[in-house]
Formats: sequence, C-alpha cells, structure tokens
Amino acid sequence: MINEITGWSEMKSLKLSRLLVYLLMVMLILLLFIAYFVAVWYDELSDGTGIIKSSVVVPGTVMIYICDLFGLTAVFYLNRLLANISKDKVFIEQNTKCLRIISWCCVFAGIAMLVFSLWRYYFGICAFFAMFMGLVMRVLKNVFEKAVELKSESDFTI
Amino acid sequence: MAIIVNLDVMMAKRKISSGELAEKVGITAANLSILKTGKAKAVRFSTLDKICDVLECQPGDILEHEKE
Repeated sequence: MINEITGWSEMKSLKLSRLLVYLLMVMLILLLFIAYFVAVWYDELSDGTGIIKSSVVVPGTVMIYICDLFGLTAVFYLNRLLANISKDKVFIEQNTKCLRIISWCCVFAGIAMLVFSLWRYYFGICAFFAMFMGLVMRVLKNVFEKAVELKSESDFTI
Repeated sequence: MAIIVNLDVMMAKRKISSGELAEKVGITAANLSILKTGKAKAVRFSTLDKICDVLECQPGDILEHEKE
C-alpha cells in the first residue's frame, strides 16, 4: 500500500529495513577485526569505576567478541525474518523461532555486559537495556506464537 | 480430537461424490478433504447447514463425540 502524501510504500519500508540490517551486519563484522583496538581505546579513555580496578583491555575484548557474535546471530535472524515478511510469510513457525533466538541473543549479550560491569559500573545500564530488549522480543515472540495458532485455526475452519 | 467426522459414511449412504458435494455446498474440494480427514479445527454453522441440506441429514449424523 502506498501512502498518498509521502509516496512511501510497504515494500520500500521493508527494503530500507533490510538495508539497515545489512549495514549493521557489516559494522558487526568489522567490529570483529577491531575489537582489541576498541578495547585499548576504551581502556585509555575510561576511568576505573568498578569493583575490579584492573585494565579493561582483556575483559573488554572478550565482552566485545561475545556481544558481537550474539549481535551477528540476532542480525542474521532479523534478516531471515524480514525476508519471510517480504515473501508474505508473516505468521509462520520459522518467524517465531527467529524472534526466540533474537530474544535469547539479547539476554546473553546482556549477561556478558553485566559481567563486564564488574570492571566498569555503567555497563550495567547497557546490560539492563539489552535484557529489556530481550524481554520485548520475547513478548513479541509470544504474540507471533499465538497469531500462528490463530491463523492455523482460521485456515482449518471450513 | 474427540470429535469424529462421519461425512464419508453419510456421503456413501446418499451416493454422492466429493466433487458434487463440494460444488453443492459451495466449498472447495480441498476444504471438503480437510473436513473428511478430520483435520478441520472448526466448522461454521453455515457450512454445516448446507451440508445437512444437501445430504438431508442432521448434524449428529455427520459429527460424533468420542471420549478420549
């Protein structure tokens, strides 16, 4: 459907979403190569406000790698979800699975950040937001699960 | 499911084919197959009404409840 005022269509919106997902995927892949340098830069930049006062280069690098891998997994499934939606396959089991995986990725990335907050307290806030995102995705997954069930019921109503 | 659809039995009694019944009731052959094989999750009253009309029977002749 095309919006008469903006000329923006549903397909264009989906294409933009997929483009952004690809962009994010590229950024996350790049981050895999520069994780160590980001951690070194962050170590020089930040002050030691955490329970553990040591350098954050090693834990920071580990945290970035863990979060990056979960981020890449989430983005991969986000892309699959958008691909299914563009094929008009919205309320299917596979999309529910995608949302469940994305939700767990957010939670695990949140746990990684929570551990890192031992070195830098403010990563606890990032952990909270990641876990909150995981919760939102989980609720969305529950909505999709119910919608799949209702669609199946509707399809098999004669 | 505890509800058994005896549409096959009734169709045999009335000597009517699936295609003919589907056409008279106004549903697709695929949907009639879903109904006959017991895969259907619900039946609309309007569909049941038409089936009973065509087969000249009662809903109880087509649907049966069995304890699980």
